Amino acid sequence: MGVQPFLEIEGLSKRFGGLQAVDNVGFSMGRNEILGMIGPNGAGKTTVLRLITGILKPDSGGIHFKGKKIVGRKTWNIVNLGIACTFQNMRPFRRLPIIANVMVSCLSPRAMKRGEWVKRVEAKAMDALEFAGISDMALEKASTLSQGDLKRLEVARAIATEPELLLLDEPFGGLSPAETDLMAKSMKRLHKGGRFGRLHSEGPAMIIVEHKLQQLMKIVNRIIVLNFGIIIADGTPEEVVNNPQVIEAYLGQGGT
Amino acid sequence: MGILGFYLRKLFNIVKREMLVLPSRIVVGLFFLVLLLLPVVTQDPYVLRILVLTSIFAILAASWDLLSGFTGQMNFGHALFFGVGAYTAALLNLHAHIPPWGSIPLGGLGAVLAGLIIGIPCLRLRGTYLALTTLAFPIILMGIVFAFSNITGGELGVSGLSRLSGSRLSDYYITVVVMLGLCTIMWKITDSNTGIIFHAIREDEVAVRAAGINTTRYKLLAFCLSGFFAGISGGLYAHFMRIAGPSTLEVSMSFTVVIWAIFGGIVTIYGPVGAVFILFPLLEFFRFWPEYRMLMFAVIVLLTLLYMPDGLFPWLRDKVETECPRCKIRNVATRKTCRVCTAPLD
Repeated sequence: MGVQPFLEIEGLSKRFGGLQAVDNVGFSMGRNEILGMIGPNGAGKTTVLRLITGILKPDSGGIHFKGKKIVGRKTWNIVNLGIACTFQNMRPFRRLPIIANVMVSCLSPRAMKRGEWVKRVEAKAMDALEFAGISDMALEKASTLSQGDLKRLEVARAIATEPELLLLDEPFGGLSPAETDLMAKSMKRLHKGGRFGRLHSEGPAMIIVEHKLQQLMKIVNRIIVLNFGIIIADGTPEEVVNNPQVIEAYLGQGGT
Repeated sequence: MGILGFYLRKLFNIVKREMLVLPSRIVVGLFFLVLLLLPVVTQDPYVLRILVLTSIFAILAASWDLLSGFTGQMNFGHALFFGVGAYTAALLNLHAHIPPWGSIPLGGLGAVLAGLIIGIPCLRLRGTYLALTTLAFPIILMGIVFAFSNITGGELGVSGLSRLSGSRLSDYYITVVVMLGLCTIMWKITDSNTGIIFHAIREDEVAVRAAGINTTRYKLLAFCLSGFFAGISGGLYAHFMRIAGPSTLEVSMSFTVVIWAIFGGIVTIYGPVGAVFILFPLLEFFRFWPEYRMLMFAVIVLLTLLYMPDGLFPWLRDKVETECPRCKIRNVATRKTCRVCTAPLD
């Protein structure tokens, strides 16, 4: 047996009623990759992420994370194995202060075990907020945040579990160009790994679903293109943008 | 002497710097003092009896808030826990001759068991469906009570239990101290890290799962904790009234708890407790006009909820206290600057 792939997905399918959202998707990725996932609206990108985190159950197919089968496991078990995700439509706990939002992640078994030396959960949550850049608003209610800050809160919540695989669903959505650059920079910093205060970064591998291609191209080293639930292209950013099938999917037939 | 002086000074400092700075904390302190010192003023058995019942129901209302207010698991069958606690304590006392100090906690454990039994099938349900399902459980248990009337006494209930204690005065002190203790514990639970997870589950369960928290375990924990406290209040009720009847399982009992909690303000613990201390004696007071009793009660509850949708006590608290915009510490409304960070309040 060769080297165990970090994340391996094979023959993943999911059907919502009459719609085949994800159709026989399969790919594998390495420990140090940043994978971009693009595709037109409704191509099934978010569904793939939700299948990986176990929020949705696949109809068929298998997902292996570090050699462990994770299909059929509960979401919290998958997260505690080291996969964290953010939501496309941000889902903060609106009536809780921002710091409490992040503390929920810090209280997960994985974060508690890895941060045993941290005496106060609040301090660790604060460091996650510091990394995301919203620590000055730690005591505000989450309902008072703007769209961009909610995105950062999502990121802070995800990295608070110190994941090895980070699934980001449109991290740049609703951000201004300047904010987007800042977010892209923090992504890169996170990927390098290291310690941010009491928070330890494993240098997670990432899957980023995004529509803003320009910024995405700068951080990823591989892109998968989905259309109608099928992978139509897989390669480096340069290969993908020159792929005729991709251009067709985005611009329609004869769109060049 | 030195050590005693140290702790006395520490206590004095806590009272001065932490308690006396906020009206709500002063009110809570006064509430404790008045309840504990009331028998010095009056030992009228009727007044004490009403306050004992009020204390018992205050535990019940607070435990509903712990489950349905904090964790968001709408329970419209809270009488189940109360009834199970009452019947367990009663049967254990009558047949196994366990004295009240043993049978009441065992009644609480019985209610924990009931919490597990209804919690496990209800975990998949949410909102209205959960409310309807939980509504059914006390009715089912009532059917069981009537079916096995040779054990449970059927409509007459289990009677002839031993007294809670020797006298009305000691009954009063037992229930009041138990009430104050349990409500403080409940408030502490909601103020802890577990409380934060309970809050978060109410807000968005999927997001809590995605944060790596086993929500099933925490929801069951909420059912069990709430069941335990409600069961204890049921056991106290059975031993105080010396009877555990099917009235403890009635649908109206479940709804009364909900009315109390919402009137006082959910997600607070102190709200439901305060509401019971206002509404229960009020209902007794209205006995002077028996024909209009329920009507007046309903009008008061309706008007309160119409003008204070968050409940009476959060509304009052917002009137007398303001939150510092900078550090989020609460201050007396009369202050111009925050007592901690000196930011101007407006």
